Amino acid sequence: VTGDLVARCVAFCRAVRERGIPVATGESVLAARVLAAVGVSDPEDLRFGLRAALAVRPEQVRWFDRLFDELWLAAGETPRTTTGMEAPTPPPTPPPNANRAPPVTLDRWMRAPDASAPAVVAFRAASDREWMIGAEPPDLGDTRAEFRRLADRMARRLAMRASRRWRPVTRGALIDLRRTARHSLRTGGDPIRLARRVRRIRRTRLVAICDVSGSMERYARFLLQFLYALQRSFAQVETFVFSTRLTRTSPLLDRGRWEEVVPRIAREVKDWSGGTRIGASLSTFVRDWIRLVDSRTVVLLMSDGWETGDPAILGAAMRAIHQRAGRVIWLNPLLSNDDFAPVTRGMQAVMPHIDLMAPCHDLAALERLVRELWV
Amino acid sequence: VLPEIRQIQDVMEREAYITDREIATAVYLAISLGKPLLVEGHAGVGKTEIAKVLASVLRTDLIRLQCYEGLDATTALYEWNYPKQLLHIKLDEKSASLDQREHELFSERFLLKRPLLAAIMHEGRAPVLLIDEVDRADEEFEAFLLEVLSDFQVTIPELGTIRASSRPVVVVTSNRTRDLGEALRRRCLYLWIDYPTLEKELRVVRARVPGLSEQLAREITTFMQSLRRDQLIKVPGIAETLDWARALLVLHADHLDEALVRETMSCLLKEQNDQRVMDQRLDEGRLSAMLSLSS
Repeated sequence: VTGDLVARCVAFCRAVRERGIPVATGESVLAARVLAAVGVSDPEDLRFGLRAALAVRPEQVRWFDRLFDELWLAAGETPRTTTGMEAPTPPPTPPPNANRAPPVTLDRWMRAPDASAPAVVAFRAASDREWMIGAEPPDLGDTRAEFRRLADRMARRLAMRASRRWRPVTRGALIDLRRTARHSLRTGGDPIRLARRVRRIRRTRLVAICDVSGSMERYARFLLQFLYALQRSFAQVETFVFSTRLTRTSPLLDRGRWEEVVPRIAREVKDWSGGTRIGASLSTFVRDWIRLVDSRTVVLLMSDGWETGDPAILGAAMRAIHQRAGRVIWLNPLLSNDDFAPVTRGMQAVMPHIDLMAPCHDLAALERLVRELWV
Repeated sequence: VLPEIRQIQDVMEREAYITDREIATAVYLAISLGKPLLVEGHAGVGKTEIAKVLASVLRTDLIRLQCYEGLDATTALYEWNYPKQLLHIKLDEKSASLDQREHELFSERFLLKRPLLAAIMHEGRAPVLLIDEVDRADEEFEAFLLEVLSDFQVTIPELGTIRASSRPVVVVTSNRTRDLGEALRRRCLYLWIDYPTLEKELRVVRARVPGLSEQLAREITTFMQSLRRDQLIKVPGIAETLDWARALLVLHADHLDEALVRETMSCLLKEQNDQRVMDQRLDEGRLSAMLSLSS
């Protein structure tokens, strides 16, 4: 392969990187080796070869074909780098919903459950056409003590899962044959000193993402107390809230008393009780925080699923989360309602990517959740 | 087409594995550049099959490591044979110094080679190492695997470092139940196998189920193509197509009709819900539509 070709290949790799496939610099070496192995006599050989070297995900495979057409085949001698199609950026986020429910200030909302609320309330849902009649949630009041107890139980549960890996111990029920054999050498093969082993403990992490938009107003206080309690009893938990945009609340929740925490959150979370943009908020989560999620993480989403944005964006974000997470649980307060069916477009997009949907409208519902916290 | 790639395609087809140029090119590069090949795709599109065919084409051994959650070094790499070690100590009490005995005890004789070590210590022609369904193992194992794949050597404290005399051809498959790390992806050549086109599937059926009439083969594959467009919970792959074709062959069918599809549906659709959907389609008299693939 001539030096010219190698230069062209390196330039092509750079162009591919600029257009959205994260090719490391070192991989141009691999690309050059591919070039040397398949030659340039048949461009299709080169396409499949370079694709195997540079595109490492199904989405990238499809995108690579277009880039190859454009940057290698059409470009002739020198590949262009910045013309033509744009890289696959996520579709533009829709503007926040204009016709949302009248804003509720967090301060008013934090003070107490609204005593004057009617027994049956109509939730003004996110989109114009979607209305939902739901039963008034029971008086949630101040349940902090019970939450504390519940959160402790959850934390214990999350910290106690046995792994399949072993760890040596001095006392234990199970004998570690490998180490016992080793020890027995000193005693002429008689296993005098028995080595023991136990299962390692497998730490589960929890990421909770809570919807605090207008339609979730009645539950958000309740859920936030729950998150607060969780955060206090369990170190490996991250919490987020969103309405039209995502805010990480773990640093806000994990210090101070509840009374101090509330104004802090009021200051930080600007769009409390606003419209709902679940998809956009979760896309932000995927972009900025997905590293918090791995196969040992339970992702807890709390939302009624009224989405104003494009359900496709929501679906894509949920797919990304589901792919990495050990378990995805969607807590939906509306689920307590017998007539509830996940028919909104938002919920439809979400259903294939969750492992469990559970109610979360009262304490009993959250109690039942304890059993589901495993990966 | 490069003659070498054409040749790979030909020999794989002789083993009744129908390839296209994409697969043949990736396989050719995996062999000639000595890089592991990561194969992803839906269930039943023939990912594992690649490794098997490759081993028989290269006339070498296939060493298979089936991954599962909690898979660790003792099951993937090596373990000492304790019962044998203990027995040996008992039978050999008089012999030399402690050092010598220890040396003897932790020698290759007492080593149980698990798949990864077996691949590294393999004598003769480089074997094909299949690491199947790597997405089922956890991230820790992935990191460990990365280490092994990068230089094909392992260090056993009692024995020292063992290096592969000839680099195995490595095929790693994943069903994407978990997203693999970027590091592993970038260490490998990547091959995505999609559901086959009508032409390819027809060729696979002809190659794998000889004796099937041309018309039936055509009907089966057309039906499968339309089936995959439906919103199914578990979309059938080529493996299911072949199961179905074999079942129909045994039943001496010569063309598809409603009753036959109903009777044999369980070969294709493994979810009760999907079967119900199919029943509904048949009730609506949609079979002929499914057999005449529009666009």
